Amino acid sequence: MNITVLAKFVPNPTGTPQLGADNLLMRDAGDGALDPGDEYGLELALQLVESQGGEVTVVTMGPDAALAGVRRALAMGAHKGVLITDPSLRGADALVTARVLAAAIARHPYDLVIAGAESTDGYTGTVPVTIAELLDIASVTAARKLELDGDGYRVERQTASGYDVLRSPSPTLVTVTAGATEPRYPSLKGIMAAKAKPVESLSAADLGVVDLTSMQSVASVLDAPAKAGGEIVTGDEAVGRIADLLQEAKVI
Amino acid sequence: MGSIWVYAGVTAEGPDPSALELLTKARSIGGDVAAVALGPGATAAADQLGAHGAATVYASDDTVFVDQPGRPAAHTLHALVQQHTPSLILFAGTYDARDVAGRLQAMTGSTLMANATDVLDATHGRTEIFGGTKIVDVELSGPEPRLVLVRPHSFAPEPAGGSSTVVPVVPVVGDGATTATVVERHSEVASGPKLEEASVVIAGGRGLGGPEPFAMLDELAAALGNAAVGASRAAVDAGWVPYSYQIGQTGKTVKPEVYISAGVSGALQHVVGMKGAKRIVAINKDADAPILKIADLGVVGDLFQIVPALTEEVRKRANS
Amino acid sequence: MIAAARSTPRTGDVGTRARRELTQVLGQRKLFQRALPGTMHAFIFWGFLVLFPTIVEAMLAIVNPDWTLPFIGDAPWFIFMVEVFATLVAVGVAIAFYIRKVQRPDRFRGSHMAEADKILLTILTIVATLLLWNATQIALGDFAHPNAAPISNALSNLFGTGQPTEALERVFVWAHVLIVLGFLTYLPKSKHLHIITAAPNVFFAKNGPGGHLTPERIDLEGPEEDMRFGVATAKDLSKKQLLDLYSCTECGRCQEVCPAWNTGKPLSPKLLIMNLRDHVAGIDPAAMAAGTIELQPLVPNAVTDEVVWDCVTCGACVQECPVDIEHVDTIVDLRRNLVMAESRFPTEAGTMLRGIEGPSENPWGQPAAARTEWIGDIPVRVLQPGEQAPEYLFWVGCAGAFDDRAKKTTQSVARLLNAAGIEWAVLGSRERCTGDPARRMGHEYLFQGLAEQNVATFAEAGVRKVVATCAHCFNTLANEYPDYGAKLEVVHHTELLTHLLANKRLVTTSGASGTVTYHDACYLGRHNGNFDAPRDVLGATGLNATEMERARERSFCCGAGGARMWMEEGGDARINDTRFAEAAGTGADTLAVACPYCFVMLDDAAKAAGSDMRVADVATLLAESISGPAGT
Repeated sequence: MNITVLAKFVPNPTGTPQLGADNLLMRDAGDGALDPGDEYGLELALQLVESQGGEVTVVTMGPDAALAGVRRALAMGAHKGVLITDPSLRGADALVTARVLAAAIARHPYDLVIAGAESTDGYTGTVPVTIAELLDIASVTAARKLELDGDGYRVERQTASGYDVLRSPSPTLVTVTAGATEPRYPSLKGIMAAKAKPVESLSAADLGVVDLTSMQSVASVLDAPAKAGGEIVTGDEAVGRIADLLQEAKVI
Repeated sequence: MGSIWVYAGVTAEGPDPSALELLTKARSIGGDVAAVALGPGATAAADQLGAHGAATVYASDDTVFVDQPGRPAAHTLHALVQQHTPSLILFAGTYDARDVAGRLQAMTGSTLMANATDVLDATHGRTEIFGGTKIVDVELSGPEPRLVLVRPHSFAPEPAGGSSTVVPVVPVVGDGATTATVVERHSEVASGPKLEEASVVIAGGRGLGGPEPFAMLDELAAALGNAAVGASRAAVDAGWVPYSYQIGQTGKTVKPEVYISAGVSGALQHVVGMKGAKRIVAINKDADAPILKIADLGVVGDLFQIVPALTEEVRKRANS
Repeated sequence: MIAAARSTPRTGDVGTRARRELTQVLGQRKLFQRALPGTMHAFIFWGFLVLFPTIVEAMLAIVNPDWTLPFIGDAPWFIFMVEVFATLVAVGVAIAFYIRKVQRPDRFRGSHMAEADKILLTILTIVATLLLWNATQIALGDFAHPNAAPISNALSNLFGTGQPTEALERVFVWAHVLIVLGFLTYLPKSKHLHIITAAPNVFFAKNGPGGHLTPERIDLEGPEEDMRFGVATAKDLSKKQLLDLYSCTECGRCQEVCPAWNTGKPLSPKLLIMNLRDHVAGIDPAAMAAGTIELQPLVPNAVTDEVVWDCVTCGACVQECPVDIEHVDTIVDLRRNLVMAESRFPTEAGTMLRGIEGPSENPWGQPAAARTEWIGDIPVRVLQPGEQAPEYLFWVGCAGAFDDRAKKTTQSVARLLNAAGIEWAVLGSRERCTGDPARRMGHEYLFQGLAEQNVATFAEAGVRKVVATCAHCFNTLANEYPDYGAKLEVVHHTELLTHLLANKRLVTTSGASGTVTYHDACYLGRHNGNFDAPRDVLGATGLNATEMERARERSFCCGAGGARMWMEEGGDARINDTRFAEAAGTGADTLAVACPYCFVMLDDAAKAAGSDMRVADVATLLAESISGPAGT
């Protein structure tokens, strides 16, 4: 089977994120990494082809530095890489991103498309299903387990109260939750093998995506009112303060 | 300006609280407000949706919407959009609504804003980035309708006392080759969500003193809903809870909206696994515990009093 | 097989190697680390050195009963020596049986006991037949100086002067020679082969600090066929590693001191070596050399994965081993293959590897910018790019920068350096992990990259002297970075503080009260021989020092070495709890440490035990006994 894995190259997950002068997230500061959230899906894909045969193709859109992320995925065991890098894609919104990625996926036959449930830096969480619609294929989001089931898939989907089991035809797009698999650590043999693996470099024009207009623009950026950070409370007010915080966080 | 729609989550028990929150907000923006409710319970929910501001409720009670999440709802909604041309559609930021919004966007070619914490008007949404330290207002342009996913609990629902006209909707369903179908449902209310997925993580540490007090944390988690209980390595090493509870360097990494610790000292081993939480609350009787230094809200006190009282308070506020 | 194996540079500094032969082989130094077994072995070993000529003599006597050895054969002093040492051998065998049958120490668990009995009995018959041969000769009047041989002389009373004794004389001498020859043919198949392999094994042992690992250069740009990732199969073992296997006598001293074995884990250094030996012995060397057989990976066929990951690399086994087997280096070589070639290791350690290789370059994945957060209001110079380092660079280390407990040590050292008027600075966010955890984990490539980058930072800043609080950083910087071009004088903070106290640049003002026991860090003590500096610093504080039973070379690990800090621990007990219980048993109210790993592990154990015993670094204890700015 052929599996396409969508992977994102994100700024240093442990660093302090910064906005550039154009109010866009600085993505090419040099010390980025493959989104840890995408490794779960990549691991799932690798396990599937290890048992079923086939190839895993990793598709990334990002700056030149994102090649390091593609290489990482290849070192883990993916077979081919596709890097869509185009200065005009900087600041691309969710729809443009989805169109570009859908076009890249459609260039080769596939049985399954796997993405992370949401990215570590943007956590929009809608790009994969938009891609599924553009490709006109089935999708299951928040998958915590996927198995082959005849000519389709049996997928366990995380819900608020437990999980549902879905039967999905092939091809399907799934998004995989954090912790669904235990991503492997690339071996040096894998790193060496990755150098010989093909990485296709594409621009938006190569994919026939011409309308790159972003339909979102930053109107203003303000510092949030300083949270009562590092506040220490004792005694009777404690319970009320915790409950307030839970409400501010919108979890009550 | 065209109307503002709310994609309203419904179940047989009634409308999702988020639907009422979003209607309250939609009402405040002005213009015609309608709700789209798809799935069993939709028609029955119309009264409440109407009371919160929906003049029209496009409803279908068809089970296809729960059996085939995402696609049929998106296509049905798209048919309605083509017919009625709303300007703005608000969705709750749930997995199900995200799937509908994401697919709809592919068809409408319009913009989609996620993680909104507020909707300022028909063309502006607000969000928080960098762990809530920056507030960003985003202008939405391009073809209508603009789609906005709003984080749950962003507004308080307020009934306005109106009523609604129910417009029955015919589902648009694909041929099955492009749709995933639910074949089983499993409820795990007892165990709650996975640690990595929960919005709230409650971690117990050595300060709990034994396995029994973890039941107290379970109760708080149950009161909050979408909350999971974890532990520090000390509590796991002591054998109070299994290794699957362990948060930290050699355990799980969690990034919840809120992390609450009870009796956790905050050794580096543990902090590595929870520092990505958006808000950190720490309860510890020792004012020198390192975890208090990284907590947004540190509580110095007796967790055996605070946790049960907090559970009560959460129940009270959730029901009000 | 050994001749065909990979060579490691083990021939330099012949003087040191020769001295080791004298003390350790002839002098039996490491055997005497245990009195009774040491005496036992020395009696037998020295006995056979002396008795060797008599074997030749017996062989001559078989050809012609009148022949004897020139010069010494009939010399009364030699005859007397033979009598004495033959008796000592017999006594040695008796002690050995006493140890094995009466004392029955646990260290023999898993050893071949019946084989040992057979060997001991053979040794006994060799000296018995010798004495009886001499006795019959005396009875027959064929012995030069009967008075020089009191025992044989006494035994001669058992024999008459006639024909039967003449026949017995022939029987004993033949028996003596045949048993010796038989023994020699049996040797290669037995663990007693050590009488041949031990001396070369000791000669080719590692010179210098035990904490130094042999680098394995990895060049990913180089040709693939040259690439070797540690030890996968028998053909990857070096000459010394193979010799190690054939030198083991299964004495179990290593097993007895191993922290893993002592806490109920499957790893025993002895069983590791025995299992590897049995695996290698089952391979046809000719077929291996010809490449006509497919070799099985050593892990898990000879030893299990768990065994390989249980090791804390404390080196207690190596320290104990009388024949200088290097268990730790072999374990790290096995790990190198598992990590770099197979990517097979306890998954929870992946967070550490990802943290070290990730943008922030530390095991905890903490932001590099947070490396200076410990400074607070302490006057500290953070060396900026382009600036030249002052006399000392204080290498804070990742634990020292990020762990709340270790930060206290860092702060104490910083205050003490200021109080002593030392010119010093830190690298701040330009410091990165030394790579020690990655290297002990087997990720040589990751270590190599960090070593090269750190060495480049040192060179750029003109760093000459480094002081480190972390025993692991210290070991890596001092012993391993020179392999990557570093030219540094590295001291541990306890050494520098001792020096500053001796020079009166630090003067304690308030005598502290209470009792303290000091826990030797493996990578400071056993691996680097620094036992006294921490104790000297404690001595200056005024605290009453008391020692644990396992101290200095015999110290018992805290459980964090060998990257075990980043792995979950199985077995019956935790190593840190076990060690803490020993410390608490001294009745001291403070447990002093000199390494952040020990600090974290033992403090965790103290909390788990609900103990009031305080765990603190010697630097903090010293700072507290100095009033003024150094005190905390």
